[in-house]
Order: sequence, then C-alpha cells, then structure tokens
Amino acid sequence: MLFVGVLLGLIVGVLPGLGGTSAVAILLPITVIIARTSPTSAVILLAGVYWGALFGGVVTSILFNIPGEPWSVVLLFDGFPLAKRKNKPGVALASSFFASFVGAFLATVLFTFFARALADFALSFGPPELFAVFVMSFATLIGLGAESPVKAVMMISFGLLLAAIGFDTITGQPRLTFGQIGILSGIGFVPVTIGLFGIGEILASAEESGIGFVERLSAKVGFADLLETLRELRKRIWLVVSTGIIGFWFGILPGHGATAGSFLGYGLARQWSKNKAEFGKGEISGIMAPQAAADAAAVGSLVPMIALGVPGSPTSAVIMAGLFIWGLTPGPLLFTEHHDFVWGLIASIYLGHLLTFVICLLAVPLLASIMRIPYAILTPFIVLISVIGAYSLNNSMLDVFITIVFGLVGYWLRKMKYPLAPLVVAIVLGDSTEKTLRQSLIASGGNPMILVQWPIATILMILAVVLLAIPLIRTVRSRGRAASVEAETVGTAID
Amino acid sequence: MRQYQVATAAAFMFVAAVAMIDSRAGAMVDTTGTQPGGIGAGFYPFWSAFVVFACAAVVAYKSWNGPEGAPAYEGREGIYAVLKLVIPMILAVVAIRWLGFYIVSGLYMGLFARWIGRYSWLWVLLLTVGMPAAIYSAFELGFRVSLPKSFLYDLGVLPF
Repeated sequence: MLFVGVLLGLIVGVLPGLGGTSAVAILLPITVIIARTSPTSAVILLAGVYWGALFGGVVTSILFNIPGEPWSVVLLFDGFPLAKRKNKPGVALASSFFASFVGAFLATVLFTFFARALADFALSFGPPELFAVFVMSFATLIGLGAESPVKAVMMISFGLLLAAIGFDTITGQPRLTFGQIGILSGIGFVPVTIGLFGIGEILASAEESGIGFVERLSAKVGFADLLETLRELRKRIWLVVSTGIIGFWFGILPGHGATAGSFLGYGLARQWSKNKAEFGKGEISGIMAPQAAADAAAVGSLVPMIALGVPGSPTSAVIMAGLFIWGLTPGPLLFTEHHDFVWGLIASIYLGHLLTFVICLLAVPLLASIMRIPYAILTPFIVLISVIGAYSLNNSMLDVFITIVFGLVGYWLRKMKYPLAPLVVAIVLGDSTEKTLRQSLIASGGNPMILVQWPIATILMILAVVLLAIPLIRTVRSRGRAASVEAETVGTAID
Repeated sequence: MRQYQVATAAAFMFVAAVAMIDSRAGAMVDTTGTQPGGIGAGFYPFWSAFVVFACAAVVAYKSWNGPEGAPAYEGREGIYAVLKLVIPMILAVVAIRWLGFYIVSGLYMGLFARWIGRYSWLWVLLLTVGMPAAIYSAFELGFRVSLPKSFLYDLGVLPF
C-alpha cells in the first residue's frame, strides 16, 4: 500500500498542475473501500502519496524552473542555477533529496515523542505571533537584493500589491480588479511564478546563448554526484538539522507555515553562510536548508491535525476529511482509542520517506539526463508544461495569459537587474501577512501595540528587526569601504 | 541601458499610481469605527503601492543621474532570439481557444523540431503525434484532468 502511494505521489508531484493535495483528494473515494477493512492501510496510502508528491514536486523546480508547490518555490533560487548554470543537475537533485530525508526524519522523531505538547503550544500562536513570523521571513530575504536594497524593497511591495488583488478576505470588497470578474479571486502565485521563473528563464537563456544553443552538460551524470552530495551534506549537517527543526515548528503553525518555513530556512542559510555572494547562483546550502525545512514542515503540519483536529496544511486538511469519512475523530482521544492507527501513520512517515528517498536516489541519473534533451524539444516542452501547470489550477485560460505576461515581465526585470526572489516571496506570503495583521488589529480594536504586546510576538519582532538590519548595515559599510578605496585611489593618482 | 532603467521605473510608478487611485478610499486609518480594526480594504494595497511608487522614483532618479552603463542589447541577435520564442508562444496560447491544447501542443512541438532542431520529417511527425498522445494519456485518461478542447471536439469529430 505504501509503495503504491509513494509511486503515485512521485508521478503526481512531477506532473505540472497536480500536487499532493489534489492527488490525496482524488484518492479519497478509493480509501473509503480500503478503510472498511483497515483504516490504517487507508491512511498509509494517503500518507505515501503525500510524501511521494513532496519529493516529486522538487524535480520540476530544479530541472525546469517551474515550481510544483508553494514550498518548492524557494528551490528556484539556487536549484535551477546549480542544475543548469553550474551544470550539476545530479548534485542539485540529490542535495534536495538528501536534505528532504534528513529534515523529514528529524521531524518524524520529534512527531513521535512530542506531538501533543507541541500541538498545544502551537495553539498559543495567535495572529500577532503569526504576523511576526511572516515579517521575519521577509526580513531574512531583504538581503537577497543586496545589490540594490531599494529594488528589493520595491519588489516586495509590488508582490504585496499583486497579492492584494481580488476580494478582500475581511470585508469582501473587490480590490484592484477594475471590473474584471476573472480576477475577483485574486492572482494565484503559481501562474505568476511559472511565468517569472519558467518562461522568463527560457527567454533570458535564448538572449544570452542564442536560440537552439547546445547545452554543454557534463558527460558524467551518475552516482558520483551522490557521493559528492553526501560530502556536501556532511559539511552542512548542522545547517540542515537546525533548519529542519525550524521547519518542523513552522509546519505545526496553521496556514502558510511550511512555505514561510522554507523561505526562512533559505534566508537563515544565507545569513549564516560565508559565501553569501554565491546564493542565487547555485549554492548547495540554498537547496538543502529550505528543502529540509519544507519537508520537516510537511510532517509538522500533521501534528495539530492528529493531536488536536486542527489541520496545519491543505493536504493535512484533506487527510483529516478522510479520517472523518472512515469514522475516526482526530484529536486527543485518537491516541488512546485508536493507538494502532496513530502508530501506523507514524510508521508510514518513517518508511514512506525511506522508500521515496531510495526511489528518488536511484532515479537521479535518469532525471538529471532530462537536461540533456535537445533544445528544440526541451524548450517547447517546458512552455507546454508551464501552460498545463497554469491552466489546471483553476481550469482558466486567464491563468495561462497571466503566465505569459509575467514571463515577459520576468525576462525584462531580470535584464534590468531587479531581484525576482523577494517579489515571489511577497506574492506567496502577502495574503497571509495581511490577514494576520488585520486580524490582530481587529482583536485589539485598532491598537497596533498588540503586535509587540505578547512576549513571543515581541521576541519574533525583535529578531525580524535584527535580521532586517544586518544586510542593510552590511550594504552601507561595504559601500562606505568602496567609497574610501575609490577616494584613496583618486588621491594617489592626483599625487 | 539608462533610458531603459528610467522607463522601467516610470512604468512601475504608473502602475503604482493607478493602484493608489483605485484604493485611495480606504487608505487612511479610520477612527470612526466603521472599518474593522480601524483599517479598510484599501489600506494595504494603497500603502504597498505607495512604497512601490517611492522606490521606483528613487530608482528613476538614480538611473537618470547615473552612468550610461552597458547597452541593453549587444546587436540584434539577442532581440531576434527572444522574438523567435515569444511570437510562436503567444500565437500558440491564443490558438488554444479554437484548436484546443492537444492540437496546438502537437503543432508547437513539430514547429520547433523542424525549424530549430532541423529534424527529419519522420521525427517531426513522431513528436507532433507522440507528445499530445502522451499528455492526453497522462492527464485526461490517467488523472481525469481536463485540458482545453478544439472545435473538432465540439463537433464530435475528435476526442480532444
């Protein structure tokens, strides 16, 4: 059952437009039949799909620059550059799989021992704390536009503006729709991101290397990459472990925890790294850290669902629907009344990840060889899967047009040296950030002090300010140093 | 490059100005108690647009007074390469409305295989038929995901 689930999940994860959530939803009616004999087998099948899709979703991000899930968006920043520009698709894929496995394994151990206690603590996180978490995610990413902080701030604000399009979730008023019914529900981050990164990259490559250029991929795409990745992982094991723990905690938080966790994992990896300049150009830490956080967050999102009956992610919400259909009630009593079910689920997390990890590692040489497909086939293929990915989201051609428009916008912004990563982060997290801010203000009757009134929120806000200040101070200092060097040079020339 | 930087920043200023005008009604903190939490629907987009406008103005000013920099395009080859991709892509997306996804994807793959790859007609034919068939099998038959169909589907001539 687990093997079938994992395999289905991997296929669904690789296919554009289909994610773990839709695959679990599609399989839900089948599990009703399975659950008649054993609900544990049913949940193992769904969990297998979930883990398989998590691993599969990274493949399109790394090889085609097209994200499958919100938390694999962050892999576009370094995964694709490592695969394509540095000519190491095998290392890029293996880095992601190894980090996924370590992050998920760590999270499962935490799940096994601390599920109830952590879930209870997570409930103490209200809108002000969640808002502080989102601010922290943005703060770590300001440094991504280190070349021009003004452009980075501009891109974040532009992303927040795009995220605000459509119905206001609090008052129900349409915003920035200009009478267009098609965008009343907002502009999805998937078509925008596919356009900015997937299509934009194709156009940028065509300009740089000419149309029909032959990729100079290394001949040795194979198991040597796995050994190299293992060596790289050993160097970064504490980074992967710490971002895994952070990711697990963020996964327990409701809403966009996993996505915020992956972005924060990336931002922290960059802050802690000595090779900051390499980020965005194919730095392995930029793949491992967010991937460990994202997979740990996916495991973490099951904790509140199982322990309290509060789903932590869309996929865990669908699995929770399955529990109700099978006649089980998630919550504290599940641990005592159906402990075989809970332990079956926990065992499926351990085994499911191991199975997915082994299958993916064996498939690395095959997957990496996709990059060797000739330009005349690969390029139109990427355009076609971009179209499928955008269309199948809402069965809407409008999303396809949005993808193409943002493809052109992405190409141009890249050319004009605007950082795209902060823009994407803001589009993905913008809605949740606004919602938590406004919920906080409603709760306090409009008093903004609520954002720093409670101890956890205050600590997180202080951390956000510190994280925000570090890259800005660094930029100012490096500019000051450059100016003094220039002045000295001019002075010497005059003498 | 300088004029392109200024033009891009000006385009952002225009978009931000339109957004600010559209959401100006709820821009200010409301103390009358008519808006939940004191801020209305327009507050967030207005101030986001304001920051975009201010930053774009700074970028435009700095670009205008900065050095000319490298030219945006070195010769015409770069523009031609981009246009060779953009024009068929836009035509294909527009054609999906009438020809459906599967016919368009076959033609699009075939066009690139022949035009860019210079493959033999046999390979072109294989790609033109094989790619839509593979996508149809995976999405329509395997996962029951419906993609746009052609006018021939409406007439009952083709299954896609």
